[in-house]
Amino acid sequence: MNSKSRYAWAYMMIAPTLIGTLVFWFYPAVYSIYLGFLKSENFGLVNHWVGWANYERLFKDAEFWQNLRNTMLYVVLFVPSTIVLSTFFAVLLNAKIKGRSVYRVIYFLPQVTMAAAAAMVWVIIFAQDYGLLNSVLGTHVAWISDKRFAMYALVAVGVWGAIGFNMLLILAGLQGIPRPLYEAAELDGAVGFRKFRSITLPLLTPTLFFTSIVLVIGATQIFDSIYLIIGKTNVALPSVRSLVYAYYQNSFIYYDQNYGAAIVNVLLLINLILTGFQFLMQKKWVVYD
Amino acid sequence: MIMRKKSATTAVGALLAASLALTGCGGNSNDGNNANGGASSPEASKAAGGDSQKSVTISYTIWDKNQQPAMEAIADAFTKQNPNIKVKVDVIPWGDYWTKMSAAAPAGTLPDVFWMHGGQFIKYASGQFLEPITDKVQAGEIDLNNYAANLGSIYTLDGQNYGIPKDFDTIGLAYNKELFDQAGIPYPDDTWDYAKLAEVAKQLSQPDKGIYGFGAKLDTQAGYWNDILANGGHIISDDMTKSGYDEPATIEALQARYQMILDKASPTHQQMTDTDAVEMFKSGKLAMIFDGSWDNGNLASSEIIQGKYDWAPLPKGKVKRGNIINGLGNVMSAKGKHKEESWQFLKFLGSKEAADITAQMGAAIPAFNGTQDAWVKSKPELNLKVFIDQAADATPYPSGSKSYPVWFAKESEIMSQAWGGAISVEEGAKKVAEMMNQAIADAK
Repeated sequence: MNSKSRYAWAYMMIAPTLIGTLVFWFYPAVYSIYLGFLKSENFGLVNHWVGWANYERLFKDAEFWQNLRNTMLYVVLFVPSTIVLSTFFAVLLNAKIKGRSVYRVIYFLPQVTMAAAAAMVWVIIFAQDYGLLNSVLGTHVAWISDKRFAMYALVAVGVWGAIGFNMLLILAGLQGIPRPLYEAAELDGAVGFRKFRSITLPLLTPTLFFTSIVLVIGATQIFDSIYLIIGKTNVALPSVRSLVYAYYQNSFIYYDQNYGAAIVNVLLLINLILTGFQFLMQKKWVVYD
Repeated sequence: MIMRKKSATTAVGALLAASLALTGCGGNSNDGNNANGGASSPEASKAAGGDSQKSVTISYTIWDKNQQPAMEAIADAFTKQNPNIKVKVDVIPWGDYWTKMSAAAPAGTLPDVFWMHGGQFIKYASGQFLEPITDKVQAGEIDLNNYAANLGSIYTLDGQNYGIPKDFDTIGLAYNKELFDQAGIPYPDDTWDYAKLAEVAKQLSQPDKGIYGFGAKLDTQAGYWNDILANGGHIISDDMTKSGYDEPATIEALQARYQMILDKASPTHQQMTDTDAVEMFKSGKLAMIFDGSWDNGNLASSEIIQGKYDWAPLPKGKVKRGNIINGLGNVMSAKGKHKEESWQFLKFLGSKEAADITAQMGAAIPAFNGTQDAWVKSKPELNLKVFIDQAADATPYPSGSKSYPVWFAKESEIMSQAWGGAISVEEGAKKVAEMMNQAIADAK
């Protein structure tokens, strides 16, 4: 068999995924970039080229900057808390404790819960008048419609939903750390936190690097919890509205898909920069053996 | 390698043969269809009674779940007369309806027949996504004079007819009799003005028990638009070129409504965001609320207030009794696969028979002249007559301009800032006016 036909077979094997990716991910992404330079009419059947006009409007729009700040604040609050808590629970559940598979299931449950159903439960928990949170704390706070708290409520829901899956990834990373390293450390007299700091953490950094990249990209695209929990007539919306929510509003409620496209194209650029930066920084903290 | 090639060729050959066979079959059956379709002129389809025709299923999409039983009853009645045409009724909730339709329109996948709203009509008609029915109207297949309050004219653009009026709706004041009885206050009636409403709302409120006199909700059609009109203000100028939100009379009406929240005569905007005001009324926590005639089925579905609520006309304002009248229409897609069958169904939807079913099942006030009484009688224990009585002096829903879908979507976002207390009502109203005027200019 010559190498040419081997390649052909290889391409055939990856074709289903490749075609799916091209049609459902790559084409929309490229088309979005194109849309950002247009002014569309009649549901996108008539288009005029307007150059950078959508972007000029975007950069002059105070709301856009506010949305960008909201998105970045969410990333800054959400990503570190998720990583720290996921690592914490993963380390606990990696220990030999009774019924640990039960705990693993419990922590993983949010991952298999329907997001919309979970959001409805959170709305009830956060409700000002009859909400669970307020009755437990004895307070009367409008958690999701007071702009001082709404962002933290969203972060809490986000972290709750993300711990399960990331804990699983980190757990896998933990189990990849060779036992003899701990035994050697114990011989040298290392105990408890020292073992975690000097062995577990460094050897976990490749996993943490991977999770942080995925989490940052995911967090910049926060939309569903804003849509489901905050809602469009909420007075706190401007303080939590993300770029993707603004995209949804402009494209599907105001019927301005060109302005919407400009917003997500900026987000795409931000994500490229953030991910590139993380790759540059990995030399400083990620340990590959 | 040669072996491999050979087997590949064989496989391709087999595939080709199979697909040829398949397309052969397809072609045959298509021809059959076309022959049938060609022969079925309107007369033929009526005479044939259906058994010689291939049966087709057409889709009918609506947004109100409460009206689904009535719409399905109409579809069943239609299928009884036209056994070869089945109708599938789909509900897409209002919140997603136009998002889905705006994706379906350019993709050519609009439902065969669907509900149309006056505010969205121009976009769909001017984009040629709707099938004109002008020639059918001219041929006398349908008479648009059969419908009340000139409703047929809503779905007309540049002299072409596109829709058949389905129903109309007005706004009423729903009140909880039990809460009035407990406080010993007489029920609302047609002598009430807005001052009386505010006064009684205050008397009926018991915030410590979570009970409020009035739901001063952030709402347009079933909310402050009526207040604005009653106070002599405007939503938009009559020629639809200028916002009326910055008129002093408009701002005054908005402030009066907001004042009820400050007076604790109404739940706060936050509370009404957590739990919709209509849901509060349904659970007996609100003594009064404005609501549309279309929503009576929703209110009636609550076991808590069943038999304990009734309707009164909206209160009088400084200038008049304000009320918004709107009419829905049925339209058909220009790109449907079964246009002839869709037209038969559309025509049936516009018939007196369909209107009678709508009325008797209490779904909505039918547009067909003379069938409204049946709707009023569908719930004899309720004073549904107020909706018909108010129709005469009501103001048409301010849609019918290209800019409407844009400014309407943005209006609630700005006003929710005012209702939530982040900005003053006056500031919010002025911002809305500015935004509307911009949207009107952009749409030119």
